[in-house]
Amino acid sequence: MTEAAEVKIDDPGIQRFREERDQFTNLGAMIGLIDDPEVKLNVRITAFVAKARQKIVDAYEQGRPFIANNYCTAPELGLAMDLPWFMLFDAPFTLMGRQSLHEVIDESVAMGLGSDLCTAIRTNIYYVEKNLVPVPTAAVGFVFPCDGMPMLHQVMGHSSSSWRDVPLICPDPAPYFADGNIESIDYFANELRKTAAFLTEHTGNKLDMDKLKEVIDESNKHYELWQEYNDLRRAVPAPHGHSMGGQTCYSMAQIFGVGDPDVTTWFQDLVDLTEEKVAAGKGVIPEGKKEIRLFWFDLNPTTFADQFMPWLEEEYGAVMVMDMLGYHDYTTIDTSSEEEIWRGLAKRGLFDTPMVRQSIGTADGFVKDLHRVVEDFKIDVVIWPGHMGHKEMLGTYGIMREACRELGVHFFDIRMDIWDDRYTPIDQVKDKFTRFFEAAGYA
Amino acid sequence: MNTPIKSEAFSIMTQATAGLENPAIDEWKAQGGKTIGYFCSMLPEELFLAGGLLPFRMRATGSEGTDGGDSYFTNNNCTFVRHCFSVALDGGYDFLDGVVVINSCDQIRRLYDNWLHKDISPFVHMVALPRQSGPDQVEWYTGEFHRLRKSIEEHFKVEITDKGLREAIAVMNETRRLQREVYELRKRERPPITGAETMAIMVAGTAMPKVRYNELLRELLTELETRELETTYRARIMVTGGILDDPTWMEAVEEVGGLVVTDGTCFGGRLMHCDVDEDIVDPMEALSQYYLADRPSCPRMIDTQVKRKNYTVDLAREFNCDGIIGEKMMFCDMWQVEQFMMTMDLKEEEIPFLKLEREYITSGTGQLKTRVQAFIETMGK
Repeated sequence: MTEAAEVKIDDPGIQRFREERDQFTNLGAMIGLIDDPEVKLNVRITAFVAKARQKIVDAYEQGRPFIANNYCTAPELGLAMDLPWFMLFDAPFTLMGRQSLHEVIDESVAMGLGSDLCTAIRTNIYYVEKNLVPVPTAAVGFVFPCDGMPMLHQVMGHSSSSWRDVPLICPDPAPYFADGNIESIDYFANELRKTAAFLTEHTGNKLDMDKLKEVIDESNKHYELWQEYNDLRRAVPAPHGHSMGGQTCYSMAQIFGVGDPDVTTWFQDLVDLTEEKVAAGKGVIPEGKKEIRLFWFDLNPTTFADQFMPWLEEEYGAVMVMDMLGYHDYTTIDTSSEEEIWRGLAKRGLFDTPMVRQSIGTADGFVKDLHRVVEDFKIDVVIWPGHMGHKEMLGTYGIMREACRELGVHFFDIRMDIWDDRYTPIDQVKDKFTRFFEAAGYA
Repeated sequence: MNTPIKSEAFSIMTQATAGLENPAIDEWKAQGGKTIGYFCSMLPEELFLAGGLLPFRMRATGSEGTDGGDSYFTNNNCTFVRHCFSVALDGGYDFLDGVVVINSCDQIRRLYDNWLHKDISPFVHMVALPRQSGPDQVEWYTGEFHRLRKSIEEHFKVEITDKGLREAIAVMNETRRLQREVYELRKRERPPITGAETMAIMVAGTAMPKVRYNELLRELLTELETRELETTYRARIMVTGGILDDPTWMEAVEEVGGLVVTDGTCFGGRLMHCDVDEDIVDPMEALSQYYLADRPSCPRMIDTQVKRKNYTVDLAREFNCDGIIGEKMMFCDMWQVEQFMMTMDLKEEEIPFLKLEREYITSGTGQLKTRVQAFIETMGK
């Protein structure tokens, strides 16, 4: 860690990253004291997050360029162009210490953002407006998969923002039809090519195609191992619930560890550990309980899942076997030619990535994923969190309910804010589950 | 209280606005004409006209509830889509021979999914709208229009020719020119028409044959030239925001003294701010350029924030407005954030601004009137 006296502190966003780096490091050290191989695997995630923050801090302090990018606009470019990057849209995920999430949410509303706006968008706008996001050399915008994201980017470019002079490019996701047609992929591939040229123009760093190939070859390994891991999650009893894999695999492969060989090792260790558990027939739920297998069809409420998911496991034997971000439908990228590399990156960003793949396309895409998850993972109950901000998902409510009916699985609609546990308080969430399990004959 | 506009033209227009199917559409259909519904002002009416179809801008006027829609959407979806889908499930759009949808917002694109799911219309087509308005996007959008053209030709067994498109562009440009003349009259110190009346005229333009509508507009303009509102208003107001097709909402604003003299809404001023360039050789490209890049956009287009701000400020000054009311539907993320930025922009420009949220169907205007009254008070009017 850099000595405090030598640290430049003129960018409040960088200062926030320093704090988060230290907090993740400390968290890892604290949890690391627990002698459990699965916990230790999770501890390594905190180290990856701290490392990603450190890279930005280093670049800032050494006067080197760094960029903001996103998980679905070719994050591989950062490593390939020697440009440390962070995801603009990570405030509600990594928020620690400085303020509670509740405070940030309340202050964003007080600032003039309505409470019907997605909390993730609100909190990120708040962070931009309060200068709590490091000002990068250049930024790659992410204007899908929902209406909130383009608005966040417009606030970034607004005259009131400290980002107003940051060169910004937003790869346009014009193609709508979700089945990965080649015309759509080529369109987006061209947008990504322009993005690389834009980054060179504004940072001076050139794209080395050999290096990009190398990064993609490594990230392909992440996706292959993630797929292996997900296959293991099909086992009955389920080896892991909400606390392992799932969303963390996504954040490692697409955000904090893109193309990092250490992350490949992490994925391999995850697979090995899970294989052992499956071979031993060990599951998450207490022995003697009949397993109820849940599919959480949205983002996992990371900030408060711990307040009710362990209870679900212990009380009802209900385990989250799969969630939307943990669901894997990636294909590896063919790195045999430049054209295939760009196509592969475009396909990965638009049509493979969870949440984007479902939300940018037609409801048919949602239904197909639902069918596959329910069948592959032997799901009993599809949980529809009904996050208040995901208007596009909320618009498929009836379609999904009917799809579940056709599949012969239960559809349980909660209606919550996956970042704000005051929207539907935990007690109410638990009560809803209790009543649902009773009515469905599980209790 | 103002004396009502006397001309028959206005009466026909208000008939077209008051409900969905109207006498002008009935007459069109009685002659064997086909009608096509379309969501959003970013879709090219000219293409429908050139295909011999009567375009009808989708709305849910007269909807009495969202019960049907609530089975497929949730209470965090906007009431426009919920009302529209309820009307659809009740057969309220059966007079349409098809519907064209666009991914203008998350909620509308899910309306498309539900429309297909419940097999509402015999023809449903989705147009993919880019998020930006540069040359690459104009090219993409031209391609989308070609796909739409082909789809209409195949389904309705019609041929859409370039000549037909150019004629349709000329008709629509004439509509826009006439509508601008109406708006121009509102710059007067004592305008000849209220905001609510203007809205009725504008909505009518999206629900009847265009050539007939242009005739009616000409007739109406003759009367308006010499008309003057009798009521004295306290403040000149501009309204800006998303979908608003209900003149009674404007009436409520005007009843407490805020005369709406212009607007930047997608059933109003944004429809006719400029024309399709008739000098562009390829009419499809001309349409794409107009709908995507030239006309004022809504916040959906991410590269237009400064342009939108300038459009709003310029209009407010041009029409000598005392203040601006920003209206938005509940659960509309785009207008939510737009109003957030607009609050800062208009403060800088020293233009009073009132943010209002609304449900699609205007009911119980008491609270609205109170807020507008207070707004006018704060302006010292």
